[in-house]
Amino acid sequence: MNPILQFFQNVVTLRGTYDWNTVFTFLFYPDILQGIIITVLLAVLAQLIGTLIGLLLYFTRRSSNGVLRGIGELYVWFFRGTPLLVQILFLNAFLPYIGLARPLIQTHFFRNLGFQQDIPLDAFIAGLAALSLNEGAYMAEIVRAGIDSIDLGQLEAAKSLGMTYWLGMRRIVLPQALRVIIPPLGNEFNSMLKNTSLVSAISVAELLEAAQAHAFSQFRPLELLTVASIWYLVLTTIWTLIQRQLERRINVSNLDPALTSGGSWWKRMIGFGGRETGVPMPAGADHH
Amino acid sequence: MNPQGTPQPPQGYPPVPQPAPARNGGANGALPMVDARDVHKYFHNNQVLRGVSMQVRKGEVVCVIGPSGSGKTTFLRCINHLEKINSGRIYIEGQLIGYREQSDGSLREDSEKNIAQLRSEIGMVFQRFNLFPHMTALQNVMEAPIQVRHEPRDQVEARALELLKKVGLEVKADAYPARLSGGQQQRVAIARALAMNPKLMLFDEATSALDPELVGEVLKVMRQLAEEGMTMVVVTHEMGFAREVADRVIFMDGGVIVEQGKPDQIFSAPQQPRTQDFLRKVL
Repeated sequence: MNPILQFFQNVVTLRGTYDWNTVFTFLFYPDILQGIIITVLLAVLAQLIGTLIGLLLYFTRRSSNGVLRGIGELYVWFFRGTPLLVQILFLNAFLPYIGLARPLIQTHFFRNLGFQQDIPLDAFIAGLAALSLNEGAYMAEIVRAGIDSIDLGQLEAAKSLGMTYWLGMRRIVLPQALRVIIPPLGNEFNSMLKNTSLVSAISVAELLEAAQAHAFSQFRPLELLTVASIWYLVLTTIWTLIQRQLERRINVSNLDPALTSGGSWWKRMIGFGGRETGVPMPAGADHH
Repeated sequence: MNPQGTPQPPQGYPPVPQPAPARNGGANGALPMVDARDVHKYFHNNQVLRGVSMQVRKGEVVCVIGPSGSGKTTFLRCINHLEKINSGRIYIEGQLIGYREQSDGSLREDSEKNIAQLRSEIGMVFQRFNLFPHMTALQNVMEAPIQVRHEPRDQVEARALELLKKVGLEVKADAYPARLSGGQQQRVAIARALAMNPKLMLFDEATSALDPELVGEVLKVMRQLAEEGMTMVVVTHEMGFAREVADRVIFMDGGVIVEQGKPDQIFSAPQQPRTQDFLRKVL
């Protein structure tokens, strides 16, 4: 047979050895499902912590204190300038140095929670810390863009009513900035769901690592990677749907007072907003 | 926040000895609402205010007019310390705003809390309204009394509705700013400022961003406020309003007060050439 044709036949049929049964068997295998839980847990926690770090970095970088500003800039420079995988490996190697690794491992935290595989807590925390710190650097830019997009006149109006900077930020500026922040935040979380796979490098049995373990024991790498890919797709698809809902809520034009007056704080935070705010330019921009 | 730190008097400019106004208010117990003394202000190398001194009595309506770049808006913003000043003093009812006087006579910026406290008694209306777009008209009006003064919600709501009625917008209480015309937004902004029961209202070209047909409704509310005895400093281009409503008109140009007096006097018989020149152009 023509070797080129042979090659394409191999690609299409995988030489007849690709085993869909393995895929179906492992798709709902308990430690794969537990891996999903770890993946989601890591992603949600790291995104939350990263967002808080991003917010904190906004205030350090906008501070009047030069040292704080310097620290903020240095932080972003460092965490955006080195690979996430290196940061994960680094922190994982770092924990034993400060005497934290052993006590953390001995807690058997995840086994006590009922996980089949005991995920070493030190590696989990190192991975979580690296993901969070790294995310913080990226969220810093997003938070900054969000807050800076809000007209300066908003804070001035708040101040003129007797609000302090912090009260004005909390009540007036941040709720509006959130509307700008949420779409890119959603994209960040999508990346985060997938970036968690990097902690497989330090043996945290999240989705990819759980799949890899079976890949080696079954000699079926392609099939188990398929299992992992299917679940990553499920996770990102679910998130995309949630994100779309969220953004729709934000862009609802200001028609429904029920969204803002009666509801929970969460509803108040996201349930506002037409695109036209009627405050198009900073009041400070036209000094006479 | 200020890169320069404590405001310094300009070089070669002798500090003017200025006794603080008597706390008891002197003879008739009436401290001036605003007492500005030799206020200087720079933006970088650009001197915007070159020694502005003026007083506003309680209940007085003062209109500040002048060409663009004359410093009138900047001066207004100094009165509630939205702008820092580089030298001089501004007292609100005898209380220095924005700064604390050190024992050596120099000024240091006051604590944020004290500044906020003083500002809460001074209402300000902005050229671009600056309503909070994520809140309804009613919520805009209620926000400061609840968040700053911690007044009970139902009490604030009743007062806010009353204020919206006063500016003719009770039917728009649940509307978001984006759904309101410019004139309506500005009237809500006035109600929002009034909700704090201010003793002084500052208007920064409150009608300049409005379509001509919407100017009247805002001026009407301002006129009503003046008639009720509110102390007002109004930076405006509306010469008709200044003429009719003001107790006193101040003409500023080049960062100084060029001329001031009764509206009739300023508009009918201006003494200074610069005033005459300006009025010839705008009237």
